[in-house]
Amino acid sequence: MDTLKIYAAMALASLRARLEYKVAFFAFLFAVIFFYLAQLGALLVVMVRFKEINGWDMGQMAFLFGLLTFSQGFAALFFNGLANFDRMLIGGEFDRTLVRPLSPLAQIIVSKFEVSTVAHGIIGSVALYYGAKLSGIHWTFWKAAALPAVIFGGVLIQGGIRLAVTAVAFWTLKNESLVHTVVFSGKEFVVYPITIYNDGIRFFLTFIFPLAFVNFYPAQYFLDKRGETLFHPALQGLTPLVGVIVFSLSLWAWKAGVDHYQSSGS
Amino acid sequence: MVEFEVNSPVIEAVGLKKEFSVSEQGKGFAGAVKALFSTKKRIVRAVDGVGFSIQPGEFVGYAGENGAGKSTTIKILTGILVPSAGTATVRGVVPYRDRKANAANIGVVFGQRTQLWWDLPTSDSFEMLRAIYRIKRGDYADMMKKLSDVLDLGPLMSVPVRKLSLGQRMKCDIAASLIHRPKVLFLDEPTIGLDVVAKENIRQFLGEINRTEGTTIILTTHDMNDIERLCARLIILDKGRVIYDGLTEGLRQRFGHEKVLEVEFDGRSPAKTALPNLEIVAENGSKISFKYLEDGRSGGLAAIIGKLAADFPVKDILVREPSVEVIIRSIYEKTVSLPPYDGQK
Repeated sequence: MDTLKIYAAMALASLRARLEYKVAFFAFLFAVIFFYLAQLGALLVVMVRFKEINGWDMGQMAFLFGLLTFSQGFAALFFNGLANFDRMLIGGEFDRTLVRPLSPLAQIIVSKFEVSTVAHGIIGSVALYYGAKLSGIHWTFWKAAALPAVIFGGVLIQGGIRLAVTAVAFWTLKNESLVHTVVFSGKEFVVYPITIYNDGIRFFLTFIFPLAFVNFYPAQYFLDKRGETLFHPALQGLTPLVGVIVFSLSLWAWKAGVDHYQSSGS
Repeated sequence: MVEFEVNSPVIEAVGLKKEFSVSEQGKGFAGAVKALFSTKKRIVRAVDGVGFSIQPGEFVGYAGENGAGKSTTIKILTGILVPSAGTATVRGVVPYRDRKANAANIGVVFGQRTQLWWDLPTSDSFEMLRAIYRIKRGDYADMMKKLSDVLDLGPLMSVPVRKLSLGQRMKCDIAASLIHRPKVLFLDEPTIGLDVVAKENIRQFLGEINRTEGTTIILTTHDMNDIERLCARLIILDKGRVIYDGLTEGLRQRFGHEKVLEVEFDGRSPAKTALPNLEIVAENGSKISFKYLEDGRSGGLAAIIGKLAADFPVKDILVREPSVEVIIRSIYEKTVSLPPYDGQK
């Protein structure tokens, strides 16, 4: 509890530091909102023109987008600070986290808290709400209970992927391009139902780089799309479990990275 | 001079070794491209069997050229790096194994990098550190008052750290490293880039903290004046090995026979050949500095001075011990050689 208070104070300090540059802060916030609105707009244009993509209509597509963006907002809130981690490593800033009586990872997370990700959250929840409404989801008790669990799993998956990619920097020192490819471009794939891709990509997004669990598989469950099972119907309920597995593996990779750093001094 | 207590040492390093593997990279762009596809690695031993033991309350200078292994040793003792071989304990804690416990016991200043929150008022950084080190309000207020009285931090508290001058920032950084009253303080180049006045302020403060708080201080610096002023004990590192560990004063005594004689002449000054045992090291108008080499045959310094004064119109004479800086530089430049270090202080 005490430790949580310390981290909360550090997070607040980083927020105050961000607000020192008010113009930059709001410009970034605006850019984030604009980017996601543009993405959503492009999707809507496509949907108006084609009515449906592989059997997914506009409401269902919005729901898919909402699940992705909402959980992404949460993941970014905590893990955005990792985006420039290679610079911390090269500049020696990381050393400082090792000489404080706290966890290095937690220090980095709270020192680079990214509040502007509320933008993802807002857009994501609007898309979720209208998506659910348009596609007429029949909300049962289990579905209502599953939604937070699915969001939680989605956050763990996206956060875990960011963490794993970040840990690579302990060996390569620079990983900026990898971060951009994997973290920021990778999720573009799952804006669409992954059934539109060939087998290789479906397999990749399910078992190697399991972004499909963030939105595609749980959306199948929520939208009762039983007709188009991919691999196995059980996958639709596995998002929280996949999240826990991905995040645990990433934490392990991160810890291995810290050990490597401490023993190689790079 | 620090009183050595019969007590267990606060820092103990035994046979510390640290190897890094470095990829070979040739010159220029072509070299960089080649290195991209090459797996050729070279093992560099940054620290090669360093051992020492430091008693509570000591103020130890840790000197050496760039790449001698100073920072690597400090990084091992602060828990940032794990040694390839050997062991280290700081207040009984193995720093790289029990990193957090060690962190609570030590303060660290990296002169090149600040630990303060760059964009926030200085006072916020201290408040953050109070939380991080779980310092009780009362203790915090006491220590804060003491630090800001001595270092005159008051006017700096409301200023964002990024707007502080280098000297002001360093004062705050050192204060920040002491706010939790660590028993051991590691300072890595704390006076780098500072002007004379700021350096002097920092030195006075460090001396005082060492005396009044009994803080054990390990100081790495390129400025030998820092060491001469502050450190009763000096450890010199060369190529990852300890080549001297003993009293700072002892180093001078060992090389004390090389005194510098500064003579100001009134008009006519002697030719180089006229003076045995004296070697001109600097000439500045009518002022000439000689290096005096005692060899036991020339009748000592007094005789030389007498001869000088008899033969030439001498206006003023000053005899100076060589500074520690001059001695150490001559060690690095291999113009003098230390007897092999036998592990005894």
